[in-house]
Amino acid sequence: MSSPGPATPLVLSLRGVSKTFGVVQALREVSFDCRAGEIHALVGENGSGKSTLLGIASGFLAPDDGEVEIGGHRRRRGSPAEALRLGLGMAYQTYSHILELSVAENLALAMPRSMQPHYSRIEEWAAGRLAEFKLDLPVSAAVRTLSLAERQLLEVVKALLAKPKVLLLDEPTTALGPEDVEQLHALVLERSESGVGIVYVSHRLPEVLGIADRVTVLRDGVGQGTFEAASMSEESLVALMIGRPLQVAFPDRDGAEKPTDVLLAVSGLRGERFGPIDLHVQKGEILGIAGAEGNGQAQFLRALAGVERPSGRASCNGHELDTKSPLAALRAGVVLLTGDRARESLFPVLSVRANTTVQVLRRLGRFGVIRRRRERRTVDDLVRRLRIRMASVEQPVQSLSGGNQQKVSLTRPFLRGDVKVILADEPTQGVDVGARFDIYEALRAKAAEGVAIIVKSSDPLELAGLCDRVVVMSRGKIVDEIRGEQLGERRIVEAIVGSPVARETV
Amino acid sequence: MSTFRGWMPLVLMTTLILALGAYAAVHQDAFLTKYNLGNLLLTTMPLALVAIGQANALLVGGFDVSVAALMTMCVVTASFTLQPGSSTLVLVAGALAIVGVGLATGLFNATLIRVFRLPSIIATLGTLSILEGASLLLRDHPEGFINIDVIDALNTSWSFVPLAFIGVAVLAVVGDLWLYRTRTGLAMRAVGLDETSSRRLGMGTARTVILAFVLCSVMASVAGFYSAAQVQIGSPIIGNYALYSIAAAVLGGASLAGGKGSFVGTLLAALFLTEIGNVLPLFQQPTEYAQMTIGALILLALVLYQAPELLSRARTSWQGVGRLRSRQGEAPAG
Repeated sequence: MSSPGPATPLVLSLRGVSKTFGVVQALREVSFDCRAGEIHALVGENGSGKSTLLGIASGFLAPDDGEVEIGGHRRRRGSPAEALRLGLGMAYQTYSHILELSVAENLALAMPRSMQPHYSRIEEWAAGRLAEFKLDLPVSAAVRTLSLAERQLLEVVKALLAKPKVLLLDEPTTALGPEDVEQLHALVLERSESGVGIVYVSHRLPEVLGIADRVTVLRDGVGQGTFEAASMSEESLVALMIGRPLQVAFPDRDGAEKPTDVLLAVSGLRGERFGPIDLHVQKGEILGIAGAEGNGQAQFLRALAGVERPSGRASCNGHELDTKSPLAALRAGVVLLTGDRARESLFPVLSVRANTTVQVLRRLGRFGVIRRRRERRTVDDLVRRLRIRMASVEQPVQSLSGGNQQKVSLTRPFLRGDVKVILADEPTQGVDVGARFDIYEALRAKAAEGVAIIVKSSDPLELAGLCDRVVVMSRGKIVDEIRGEQLGERRIVEAIVGSPVARETV
Repeated sequence: MSTFRGWMPLVLMTTLILALGAYAAVHQDAFLTKYNLGNLLLTTMPLALVAIGQANALLVGGFDVSVAALMTMCVVTASFTLQPGSSTLVLVAGALAIVGVGLATGLFNATLIRVFRLPSIIATLGTLSILEGASLLLRDHPEGFINIDVIDALNTSWSFVPLAFIGVAVLAVVGDLWLYRTRTGLAMRAVGLDETSSRRLGMGTARTVILAFVLCSVMASVAGFYSAAQVQIGSPIIGNYALYSIAAAVLGGASLAGGKGSFVGTLLAALFLTEIGNVLPLFQQPTEYAQMTIGALILLALVLYQAPELLSRARTSWQGVGRLRSRQGEAPAG
């Protein structure tokens, strides 16, 4: 990776950009630029203003103050269409796919109007483009039927289609397994070598340091400086991001493994894309589920929570577990924290308070009327305990950062006294370093109360640090189990990629 | 891509039209006459036109409930601008004035929806009230005959098939080809399916929504001509076209959530709904029953049509979360 000299032209430049949303100052006089051919990483905790900065660069948001230049052209009126014309491509963290339309149609829509193929030839055209990017996807399938990883790769390809001069990637690897990350990085490096300037936003610091030429750090909407990536370490970046040196990344496990009662017992459970699965989880245990994306891990959790119908048997605390509906599972004490929190667990427009107490309103009320003061006290207490960062508990959840949204959904198992099992699907996806620790600590605290917890995660480091035991799933079955001394990031990754070492221990 | 499911409403509507027709033909000789069939096609015209307009609003994820009031306004306007004994020039100007009322209403609705960000139902409800009041102000009771030459021209038929019906059928086919076989049609569906993504992709979402609502109102004003040809007098009360037009568009394949629909399907559904109204009197059922039956059928159809779609959406979004990737599924073997 050759660092381009300062003489290289700037493909993107933001100067003194500020933006406020209501009372929250999201960005304060931030300057940022990207040279042709460089990979410039932008890091910061969630809520630090990264997405706002990208939104302004891509024309989706208008800055309150400051200037944006793309390829030397000053932008007057912000619009994605204009940014696209000036040579800016953007891969959104939440994607820009139209799920009901086919892959080919989505690709065609990503092209500037003048470059769109004739409609009758789009499938042929799309197949050609996908082949160029070595992506094997069915062009006539609706994007809805693709896995999250496939959608993420498609999003990057869409951003590259119009041959942009500058490419903005917002968390492009959240849904990708190690193999896909490598493919994506190869693609990004190839583009940067051909002169495209790349802005790379990610919370995975090893990834960032592995690929970037320069790194800019944001904290609370203020730039903390731009650095040569080679001169930075993960520790120094984290220190800049959170403003204090990173302490212990994971909460302590409860010392020695002491055998306790089995709380959740699963035998011969099968459903769409998984099974048969036999599994026991003990009281107070945090069990991790690892595996390459799309090997039935999510379906297994959803089946236990009654969201999808399985066949086979599962019991909780000695009683048959009713998985006919989410409500039945909830009554049995099984709580699912979904990976898609915005769509499946939170009410985005409702307040933090309402989202926290929605499942336990009866307990907070008298004669069917909610006692506000009591509710407030309960919520304030949890907000403090989980360190949820916000202006007020009356703030709509959608205005919080990703990490804080996740914490809000985590408040619910704390309010219900009858929770026996927590199923956490990617509990820290899109969550920043500081908030991650709070989430780990909250999960560990629940485990200490005797709750059994299953964590599905695509981050091996997280599983190794948080869990007491990790099972690895492949093609819907458990193919490996890792515990005790063996439990480490490297061992998990080996099991996922299916190295012979890992298979011998099964 | 129009999938097999996209054709289902068209097949279903055609089947229903033929089944009801066959039943009526077997039991009532009066049904299968040139006179009755020609009459059926002519009475379909207002609903067909306004429903095709409504389909545009539904495509971009909106509703236009002001269409009936606009049609009334157009009939009332026609009773002033298309008076008996006027010269051709005056009549042409009068016709343009009616379309002008539609154009202005469409722009008004689009402004409320795009510039002032009102939900389309609320915006068009307001417009409905304004137009209703204006119509009553102009004609508080049926009054003012409409030029018979104009009515004859609108009703011109080839054998028993009105030329206008052939025209609207061609329009519907061309509309569907545009919607499912061109880039601009694709853009229209994209905006209706997901406006945020469309905007991120640099598409002119505002332009698309404005176009849809203007088209809707202009089509409603053209439908007003055919209402005028039927009532033949400046009447301040016309039928329940807001519900009927939405129902026809949905029966024809449109989704209440936007982004889907078929103009041909809409036309067929309009024909079916009108056929019910045509057949019931033949069996000596009071017209009140006809209205109630149509209302109930519409609700039933909406429930049946939307239910599987909502279910399948929910299901696929659950499954889509972790769909097995064939490539990754093979990886652990390596």
